[in-house]
Amino acid sequence: MTFREKTHWVALVVMAVAFGWYFFQLHTALPHGPGNIAASGGLLTAVTIGIILAMSLIIGIIAAVNPRDAHAAADERERSIHWRGTHYAYYPMVLGIWLCIGLIFAGYSTPTLLNTLLAVVVFAEMVRIGVQLYLYRRDA
Amino acid sequence: MPLPFTNDIRTLRFLAGEMTQGDLGDRVGVTRQTIAAIEQGKYSPSLEVAFRIARVFDKPLEAVFQWGDGSN
Repeated sequence: MTFREKTHWVALVVMAVAFGWYFFQLHTALPHGPGNIAASGGLLTAVTIGIILAMSLIIGIIAAVNPRDAHAAADERERSIHWRGTHYAYYPMVLGIWLCIGLIFAGYSTPTLLNTLLAVVVFAEMVRIGVQLYLYRRDA
Repeated sequence: MPLPFTNDIRTLRFLAGEMTQGDLGDRVGVTRQTIAAIEQGKYSPSLEVAFRIARVFDKPLEAVFQWGDGSN
């Protein structure tokens, strides 16, 4: 397994845990109504910092174990996998943006729009990473 | 979908002093996993990488890669 594939697994797990926790808290613990936007912002900041710290720590450990792999430039197959993953993630991203445009015209609140947009970005990112991992595994 | 061509990289590696996939990858400029994928017919390399592989073995391209069944 290449260093890049390992970092993709780390990103997938960390994002699933972090945003799974965020959206769970959103529906169970955060206040509803106008105060929700500030609470969402605070929680989102904490989740973002947590993701950065967790990924930096885990990927740093993986890189320290095998520094040669970590410093190797991506080859053409890895670049191709990266491009295809991004390509497939584009479609849910566009659909999600149109969904948010629809919500704006339907008069939904700012917190709802914020969290829908966030869900779209997270889902598209999971699609990107998932497709890339599938392509890494398929060729292995 | 299987690729329309095969290759003799595994045999050529063996004949080149049992060269490892990692060694070949280092000399070509790709990862060991990419060499493994090419060998197994799971990844179609660029023309540049195909030529680089052939140059490592000092063989013409068609001695490394062969078009499968004569079809398009």
